[in-house]
Amino acid sequence: MKDLKHLYYFEQLLEEADNELIREAQEAGRKCVGAICYQTPEVLMDLDDVFTVRLRAPRSGSLEMSTYYMTSFLCEYSRAILERAIEGGYNFLDAMIVPDGCTMVNRCVENMELLNTLNKEGVFYKYLEVPMKADENGLNLYVSECRTKILGALKEHFGADVSDEALKRAVERYNKVCRLITEIGNYRKEDNPRITGYEFHIICMATYVAPKDLLIDKLEETLEELKTREPDENPKYRARVVVAGSEIDDVDLIKLVEDSGALVVADRFCFGSLPGRVEIPLNDNEDILTQICRHFLYMNQCPRHMNLEKVHGRKEYIADIAKEYKADGVIFEQMKFCDPWAYEHVTGAFDLREKYGYPVLTIDRPYAVGTSGQLRTRVQAFVESVEIKKLQGGEK
Amino acid sequence: MGKAVGSEKLGNLYSGGKVRKRREWRGLKDTLYDYWRWLKIMKMLAGFLMHPHNLKGMFRYRWMLNYIAVPAMIDKHTVGLRGNHLKIAHEEYDLVAKDVAQLLNTAFKADKYCGNDQELSKRIVVLDENEMFTIMCGFPNLKSISWETAAVYVAVLLHGDAVTHYLDVLQEMGVPGDVCPMPAAEAGVVIDGDMPVFGACAIQCNTTCDGSLMGNGIMARAYEREGIPVFQIAAPLRHLEEGVQEYAAQEIRNAIRFIEENTGHKWDWDNYFTCMKRFNEETQHRVSWMEMSRTDFPQVIGANLALYSETTYMAIAGRVQDFLEADRRISKLAKESFERKEILVPEYRHRAIIWGVQSQYYTDFLPWLQNCWGILPLVDMLSLVYFDKVSEDDKEQAIYDIAKLYQEMIMRNRTHGGYEVLLDDLWRFCEYYNADMVILWEHISCKALDGMHGLFEERAREHGIKLIWVNHDLMDPRVIGRQAIRDDVNRYMRSVMQEEPIDPSLEILDDENAW
Repeated sequence: MKDLKHLYYFEQLLEEADNELIREAQEAGRKCVGAICYQTPEVLMDLDDVFTVRLRAPRSGSLEMSTYYMTSFLCEYSRAILERAIEGGYNFLDAMIVPDGCTMVNRCVENMELLNTLNKEGVFYKYLEVPMKADENGLNLYVSECRTKILGALKEHFGADVSDEALKRAVERYNKVCRLITEIGNYRKEDNPRITGYEFHIICMATYVAPKDLLIDKLEETLEELKTREPDENPKYRARVVVAGSEIDDVDLIKLVEDSGALVVADRFCFGSLPGRVEIPLNDNEDILTQICRHFLYMNQCPRHMNLEKVHGRKEYIADIAKEYKADGVIFEQMKFCDPWAYEHVTGAFDLREKYGYPVLTIDRPYAVGTSGQLRTRVQAFVESVEIKKLQGGEK
Repeated sequence: MGKAVGSEKLGNLYSGGKVRKRREWRGLKDTLYDYWRWLKIMKMLAGFLMHPHNLKGMFRYRWMLNYIAVPAMIDKHTVGLRGNHLKIAHEEYDLVAKDVAQLLNTAFKADKYCGNDQELSKRIVVLDENEMFTIMCGFPNLKSISWETAAVYVAVLLHGDAVTHYLDVLQEMGVPGDVCPMPAAEAGVVIDGDMPVFGACAIQCNTTCDGSLMGNGIMARAYEREGIPVFQIAAPLRHLEEGVQEYAAQEIRNAIRFIEENTGHKWDWDNYFTCMKRFNEETQHRVSWMEMSRTDFPQVIGANLALYSETTYMAIAGRVQDFLEADRRISKLAKESFERKEILVPEYRHRAIIWGVQSQYYTDFLPWLQNCWGILPLVDMLSLVYFDKVSEDDKEQAIYDIAKLYQEMIMRNRTHGGYEVLLDDLWRFCEYYNADMVILWEHISCKALDGMHGLFEERAREHGIKLIWVNHDLMDPRVIGRQAIRDDVNRYMRSVMQEEPIDPSLEILDDENAW
């Protein structure tokens, strides 16, 4: 296929945590809030004069300092973020607003705070209590926490406009980006998709790490470009897969999977579009903050949500997208030492195989896979097994 | 070898096998007392096995085999003790053993694979291992049982290798070996088909960590398969904050309603407040023992404080009068010894706070610490829980009290709640208890503790506190054995402190095969 015009631009944005769009927005007087998880609703931190970025540590090398502070038993994402923070890589941040989410990420941010890694004057940290069940009691808590620790804090520290009107504008902007990403992503449903999983991953990830409004023109152009893009007549892939699991902000992982003969047609992971780029529906009958929180609470697919509806719902969600995106199999990935996904990838794999009939590969991986030969071999073997099943006309 | 504290070289008792060479000689009076207590435990075990459903349970469940080590478990925690200290230990451990026997008796009677008493089963609510039982104080006609406690927690206390098989089972399913072994073992029990099946419903809670939370998912699926409805209490993590308390209280209200709907029993306020009166008095007793540890003559310390407190605070929660009576006797004995300035070991060299999560396969490490090196384990993280008095008559406040207790369950109150409760509080306790040393359990799979590793070291240096890291893997002695645990201390004491042990026979022990 012909290269996408802006793909290189999006790739460049992902080369540094402190990318050019962040600098541009800050030069315009906007404040930047660091986030680390889906559970602090992005839209509440993407206000008129405030924007949020989800932290990554691109091109991570040695993790020695963070390993001293947190040992080698914590996941490499949390260690890479702390390492980068100690190195001064997030000094552009004006605040950190994070959930008391998984233990490791929580400890990572606490270390960042205690070690005074962010050097801007007036920088502050907020930790949200986020509900671990989706129900009305949890929603009340979520609304209260978001009201005080996000909106209240942004108003207090930055004088941000957090009125309902401002929130509505924020939702409109957020939904616009989500619509664009969804429409781009929908091309992955085609029998011979005109976009690869890698390309989509890069584009989608860019929307997490830069002020979204500054990306809209490039996203629109990319969507227009895709409308007439001709896919290769003979596609290279031999199996369509859903990748589901823990945090992936590594530009190489999806590439490695696709270089091994698969096509990633759906992305159910942190930094992915499902459900990270699903539009927020609004009505006029309910307080807007409650509606936003309800969306993020009920759409949440984090394995730390503990009620049985969620436990089963997460697997059903993956089965649904596998069907919708015509996947032949599912790859569950777990970042090494991630406790929630250590369990979830096992029960998920079991259910996807036994209940929904999909072939499943489970992998654990480091933060940055590079060109791991071991992983490549595993994916190649999985693709072959899926391919053989298809040739033999057996079950999925 | 005799009546005096420290008169026996305790390392000489180890045989290299499951049991020790002989019983410790503590002088005539104490030896006879100890032996009489041992006989009572043996009698209790025999009585337990007289029930056919218990005998069936003994052969049905792999983890039950560990229970033949009950007398050995008590022996290893009473090692070196004399006089009142020996009596205090027996008051504690013997009562806990009796309580666990009752738990197992009820469980096997109701279990569909053993006694299959369905009427009894309908009166049982299943709880998590690491969960406050306070919520059952309002249901006097229901029984509450945690099979996880019996199958995993107590089993490893009795026999260090008790759950390695279940860990292997889970790892064969694909769960990596770096997750916390406790919930992993519990999940392994379920997958291996070794979960006793009973109960009208189950109440789970997001207890200590992500591993525990995720293990609960496997348990919940098993309950669902067996037709046991399950409710999850999602207690807030940032438990110090006022803003989360209403949410927490509503979780408790919802849980109570769930139990009422699934058992047909109504919440009984009178019984609840009766239990809370006991609970408050138990707290007072425990605090009074810990206050003694601020002085030069601590009386109830180490494992004797930790294990008994865990049971009383969390699993008993004021429901059983026997525990309150034992508390009163312990307080009386401790007070006597305090006034007589009695000592636990011949020499007190260091006063230590025990922080982090203890090794479940080596809980008698704390007696070893005091007997070998004269390091007094004054108080431990797991005993430093919620000491505020709970309401004994206000129904509205009571719900908030239960919610607070759920948030501040043992271990959870430190692994959750932010760095303030894990990191900052430690130095406050060092000052309060006049400690010069911290023994910091580094449970390698405990990410909450691991995540503060570097800052613990930095803060210890700033406060001038000697910090000894003691590595372990909670329930898997294959990863880090008991001698390796001891060596962490031995190395530090010799190389940094330049000290010789009080009892050199204990420095290196042949106990890898011991119960």
